[in-house]
Amino acid sequence: MSLPAPLHLDSDHLRFLTGGISINAASSDGNGVPSLCRAIGCRVKGGGSRLVLFLSEPAARTLLEDIQRSGQIAAVFSDPLTHRTLQIKGWDAARMPLEPGDAEVVEGYRAAFVERLKSIGFQACFVRALLGCGTMDLVAVAFTPGAAFNQTPGVQAGAPLEGPSR
Amino acid sequence: MIPVRALRECLDGAIPGVVSTCALDGTPNVAYMSQGMFVGPEHLALSYQFFNRTRQNILANPRVTLGLTHPHTAQQYRVHLAYERTETAGPIFESMKAKLAGIASHTGMTGVFRLQGSDIYRIEGVEWVPGSTLPAPGPEGDPLPALRACVESLPASPDTESLLDAMLDGLERHFGIHQAMVLMLDAGRHRLYTVASRGYPVSGVGSEIQVGDGVIGVAARERVPIRISHMTSEYAYGLAMREGGAAPGGETEIPFPGLASPGSQLAVPIPGLREPLGVLFLESPQEMRFSQAEEDALVALAAQVGALFRLFLAELDLAEEFLPAPVREPGPSGSPLRVRHYAANDSVFLGDDYLIKGVAGNILWILLQDHQALGRTQFSNRELRADPRVRLPDQSDNLEARLVLLHRRLAERKACVQMEKTGRGRFRLLVTRPLDLEDMDPGEG
Repeated sequence: MSLPAPLHLDSDHLRFLTGGISINAASSDGNGVPSLCRAIGCRVKGGGSRLVLFLSEPAARTLLEDIQRSGQIAAVFSDPLTHRTLQIKGWDAARMPLEPGDAEVVEGYRAAFVERLKSIGFQACFVRALLGCGTMDLVAVAFTPGAAFNQTPGVQAGAPLEGPSR
Repeated sequence: MIPVRALRECLDGAIPGVVSTCALDGTPNVAYMSQGMFVGPEHLALSYQFFNRTRQNILANPRVTLGLTHPHTAQQYRVHLAYERTETAGPIFESMKAKLAGIASHTGMTGVFRLQGSDIYRIEGVEWVPGSTLPAPGPEGDPLPALRACVESLPASPDTESLLDAMLDGLERHFGIHQAMVLMLDAGRHRLYTVASRGYPVSGVGSEIQVGDGVIGVAARERVPIRISHMTSEYAYGLAMREGGAAPGGETEIPFPGLASPGSQLAVPIPGLREPLGVLFLESPQEMRFSQAEEDALVALAAQVGALFRLFLAELDLAEEFLPAPVREPGPSGSPLRVRHYAANDSVFLGDDYLIKGVAGNILWILLQDHQALGRTQFSNRELRADPRVRLPDQSDNLEARLVLLHRRLAERKACVQMEKTGRGRFRLLVTRPLDLEDMDPGEG
């Protein structure tokens, strides 16, 4: 199967994806059963040509197996304050070794998410528990964004993201 | 085992669930859930608002993985679901529609979130996602002790009025619920009338709500509890809400007593044999005031009160009929008060003041006529039930509730006519002023 052309995400989108918002990733097995896991950060590489999601391995075991099998991934990014929501799909997802700076990205994400949820009444200990992951459990999955959909609630929800492809 | 309680708390919590589906070719999709609710031990319903990719996927492939987060412990769950059907009417749909209206209003999505259907899923399995969690909150959130105290405070002797009072007092004392009311169903007129309330500047006894209108009316029509955790104008009762227009001869309006800006509302049907007996309605200025666990407790309380109410009615019907021989008591002295009765809707006016209408108005008119013509002051519920002039809509009509309503309206208005309980299912009419009874359109009476 030929993969769709990579999608260009502009700087506003990239800021959004790395802005301390909620991230969940999904895939599926070969029998039509979806898998799902909360991610604990996102790193942008190559100016947005690759996205790296961080996951806790014990929590993401099934998702990682499914990604390894099919390379398919769907990730939803949502700002709990504004409900702005974006779904990005990729067809070449794969687990990658951690790189220098990844742990800092995850810690920065945690701090930003804690700060964001604090403003709507969540305590830091709750958010940190939600994003908890032992150092040894941290894994990375990278993919090329192939399609993106605006999922902010409203009439436009579900529409593909418009933008110049490259 | 399905951790029903924890999952219900997740569905009720502030962290939205995440719905993962996949197309027939395996392409995954992930989206946020607007609303979900448990509909039995092995099923849950998710709101369907838009025909989106999630919906296309579940129609082609029913498998769904739902991610939920517990609002207190941060425990994450993955619930594996299989789509079964979509409901577009009925109790589940109406309950979700009302809740969604609250969520939409809270999130600035009024007009955007509109429920098209309730998608019903079978729960195939639940995974506890490994990760860090916080300790579960202590037992202070458990409403069972309050429920027990409330049930223990309900009267054992058959007195429906004190039963309703005990329930409202118990809610205030044991549950800390300060705004509450009981409305009884008038099945013939498809209306609910307020018979008791707590926590409002005026009691609103006698005010009416149409079956199907707002959270109270929908709860009665669908026989399902309706709980809204955020203020929404869609289900609000305006303070100006009236009981159904003017009567011939004057306004017959008793304003509904509800809060002008409720943050939370909960309407729980009080079960009857076929139709509900009525609705217990609770509200609070605070958002997210009523938890799922409290809803459970109040459903149990309403069931107990409903069963006791019906038991009391049966006991009152079997009670020994003992009526003292009619004695013509000396009439009161003073200037007479004009009392008008309009047969068209049985509205009764004391002087210029509207008092009551409907079956309760008709009962009052009969009592006053008998008092005037025969000098009677002693009456029994059983005798009224059998009296052809009372014209109850049907055999199962809740005469007791109408007498409670009449008793309260007279007491509230400090009228020159009062009802005084004299024993089980009996009462005495106290008239402190001469009355000048006028039937305004007797042709229909």
